[in-house]
Amino acid sequence: MSAVSTAVGRNEPLAPEALKAPLFVSLAEKMLAGGRWVVLDLGPAQAATIGFLNQFRCRLEIADLPVSIESLNAEADKAQCRQLAESVLPACSSEPVDMVLCWDLLNYLQRPALTAVMAEIAGRAQPGTLVHALIVYSGKQMPERPGPYYPVWEADDDALTSTRLANIRMTSRECEAPRYTPDDLAHCMSDYRIERAKLLSNGMQEFLFHL
Amino acid sequence: MFDFNKRDAAAKDDDFYPNDEAAMETGSPQPAPARQAATSGRREAAVIGPSIHINGDLRGEEDLIIEGEVKGTVNLKHNALTIGSQGKVTADVYANSINVDGFMEGDLYGAERISIRKTAEVRGNIISPRVSLEDGARFKGSIEMDPESEALQKAFADNRGNGKTTAFPGKQAGSGDSKPAASPESTASSSPDTTAQAAKGGTAG
Repeated sequence: MSAVSTAVGRNEPLAPEALKAPLFVSLAEKMLAGGRWVVLDLGPAQAATIGFLNQFRCRLEIADLPVSIESLNAEADKAQCRQLAESVLPACSSEPVDMVLCWDLLNYLQRPALTAVMAEIAGRAQPGTLVHALIVYSGKQMPERPGPYYPVWEADDDALTSTRLANIRMTSRECEAPRYTPDDLAHCMSDYRIERAKLLSNGMQEFLFHL
Repeated sequence: MFDFNKRDAAAKDDDFYPNDEAAMETGSPQPAPARQAATSGRREAAVIGPSIHINGDLRGEEDLIIEGEVKGTVNLKHNALTIGSQGKVTADVYANSINVDGFMEGDLYGAERISIRKTAEVRGNIISPRVSLEDGARFKGSIEMDPESEALQKAFADNRGNGKTTAFPGKQAGSGDSKPAASPESTASSSPDTTAQAAKGGTAG
């Protein structure tokens, strides 16, 4: 069988800066194995993400969190922040979420907002739900605004042969990175446990949590 | 098993308008191209112009372009619908294929395909076996991409019953369940399994 070599949704070859993200690959492999999945993407709608998930039996929920980060961070009251988190996320459905794609967005949430958002997600998920996140680890700075991540991949007839993550940088301006430690994350995400973590080539740490 | 070819996620809209490909050129605020279809012997699409406001249920058996404002429900289950760049629809929409360039709030049900263009702003849920979205489009809600989903089966049950069945290009259903390990209690209460079970005994692909 001849190999199909494509990066569907972007119509371009694998970008050289695309990240190897082994834990994301492990998620894709779980989806490939079958079953129906409910995926919550905290980022904006991306053609490539939809194209990628189109290969699987799934329902994709899109939160477009970047447009609400400022208001979430500005909310000082815990209860109000939780209420805001509820309104920011897509409306609850009868199906619990199985997988959450946070990309790099947790870096942009201050601790109270991070706690509220992840607690709200936990209320829509079920035990075993997987959460994927990229946390700035070694760098002191990060882009001032989050830029969307999206998968790029190659596939042959019945397998993904290469899956990576690419990122569109939205601004050259930078801000201080929170550099959340595993302890910080455990504190803010008390419903979740770290399943695996990997240091990536771009100075980020890739986390896979489970509920 | 994964079959890369079973789903052409990047498929563009060359086959988007089953009844009137040439007529339904989108991205232009002017619906004039729709008129050209008449000369080619094809049935032209009806147009709701920018100054028209409709409140209520809209039903029909022909293709439609909405450049005006519609509130209520839109039901064109066997035809193509375009919400033009000037269109503003607050409704649940059922059509064979749907193309959105304008504003849409509500649920979109596409028996065959739904395409969200870069100028679109959509708030609601999308239910269709084929979904494409251009970067730049604003979208908040959910996208049901499972051809065996209960929502899709229910929405187009009559399409199937009258011989106008859409051939849902399918990801195979019931090919195992690799979901994360959950407690027996949570597994028992999770509704996706209902769909999966139905799909296993249903008409996959």
